[in-house]
Amino acid sequence: MKIADWLEQHPVNGVTVERDASLEEAAEALLAEPECRDIYVTDAEGRVVGHLGFRRLAGVLLSAHRPTHSRRQMLERVARGPVHEFMDRRFIAARLDENVHQVLHPHMERRVEDIPVLDADGRLVGVIRLVDLVRAAIEPSDQSIG
Amino acid sequence: MEILLIGMLLLAGLAVGSLGSHLLGVPRVVGYILLGMLFAPDLLGGYLGMDSTEWTQPLVSVALGVIAYVIGGAISPGQLRRLGWSIVGATLGEVSGAFLAVFGAVLLLGMTVADLPLWSFALVLAAVAPATAPAAIVAVVHQYRARGQLTTMLLGMVAIDDALGILIFALVMATVGSGSLGGALGTVVWEVGAALLVGGVGGFVVERLSRRFHEQSMLLPMLLGGIFLIVGLAGWAGFSALLAAMVFGFSVRWFCGPHAERLFEPVEDLEETVFVLFFTFAGLHFNPAAVIDYWPLMLVYFAARAAGLFVGGGTGARLAGAPKPVWSNVGFGLFPQGGVAIGLALLLLHYPGFSRAGEVIVNLITTTTLLTEAVGAISVRYGLRRAGELGLERAGGEAK
Repeated sequence: MKIADWLEQHPVNGVTVERDASLEEAAEALLAEPECRDIYVTDAEGRVVGHLGFRRLAGVLLSAHRPTHSRRQMLERVARGPVHEFMDRRFIAARLDENVHQVLHPHMERRVEDIPVLDADGRLVGVIRLVDLVRAAIEPSDQSIG
Repeated sequence: MEILLIGMLLLAGLAVGSLGSHLLGVPRVVGYILLGMLFAPDLLGGYLGMDSTEWTQPLVSVALGVIAYVIGGAISPGQLRRLGWSIVGATLGEVSGAFLAVFGAVLLLGMTVADLPLWSFALVLAAVAPATAPAAIVAVVHQYRARGQLTTMLLGMVAIDDALGILIFALVMATVGSGSLGGALGTVVWEVGAALLVGGVGGFVVERLSRRFHEQSMLLPMLLGGIFLIVGLAGWAGFSALLAAMVFGFSVRWFCGPHAERLFEPVEDLEETVFVLFFTFAGLHFNPAAVIDYWPLMLVYFAARAAGLFVGGGTGARLAGAPKPVWSNVGFGLFPQGGVAIGLALLLLHYPGFSRAGEVIVNLITTTTLLTEAVGAISVRYGLRRAGELGLERAGGEAK
């Protein structure tokens, strides 16, 4: 199935935040969209420049409750920067004209939950959620992901 | 036989350390050191055919390389800017205070080891003095839910002071290795310059290579390979392995930019293993005669280091504009000394001309580490309480 078709059947907009936003702002944006587990960081033109997973976000925001810290974690705690200092710049994104099965496993190997779909300019047009893919895989219907 | 002994040291050390901590409430390092003593060549080690501890040398070098990589990669340039002048100033004061106080005190005491000039011995001891142990501070902060300016300052300081300590140690060893202060410049320029170049280029290359690997499992062998290669190159070409490994870590972090944890987390997970080895190795070298012969030196080192950390850290924080509750209490949080200091001391055993002095310094650092571990947590708690930053006490709760 083409990704464009998948997004028509499973429309998920995804969550974005600007690169200079704080982690608290990123968390608020993500919590406002309970169906998303990943947030995409954009530049001033709205192009996606990085990805930040919920676990990473939670790990930093809850660091005061961690009983042991590496030096790196201690500095993240006392000299916390904006969201772009925590994002992964080398995330894999899908395009509308690709097939779902082509992008599924490369993403699963990166241990991220959502697959961002970008247009030709690099702006987020939608998100493929792993939970929807699993649901489609176990429900024998016409919603094949192959 | 060495592999058998390493296995025993790791497993039995962990068991004894954890049991001692759980049943008697003593720090785990006490168990590690005691277990190491048990396997010294004069005791159980002799029965295992371990007549010397020479075999530990390459392991100590590489293990210290691992720690130096982690220390170098702990901070990014952006974080350094954000830390603020008060934390950076206090750290500079703390490190220079400990170094100068120990250097001056050992010179005044006039006690050295037979084969070493007094100035060399004093310099080397002073170079080990600034290293601190973050674990004790983090444990107290966590246990008592400490929060505030002093807590932030202490966490920032102990996260970066070991980097300065390693830099000072590398400079001192280059100076001492050249034989005289006058002839040291060329040696220092080579040792530091080559370490900066090799570590910097190595970091760039490894970070670029890491982009090819999306599986986390592929990163650890690549990073360890880089550390081994740099430490080995340093031994072969005669520049500072410690400094090169630290610059390697910093360079990896610099070129990676955000999301660097995937290049550090796998190596950070090795830190406790390295420290178990360091403390048990220190136990292997434990020599009661050295402790008895050099007790005045140990006392002077302990007192001078504490005074230097207290005065230097406090002065640095005050000059950098920290408020009184912070600068008057910051010294209490800096006493703990641990794995990094022990590692540096173990490294000295294998420097040319340092075998006897190294033995004394290992015993000195082992003894004072036991002392700082015993009083360190109490001291940190006292300082944070004076500053009114113990969250549980503010809330009227009780620490478990």
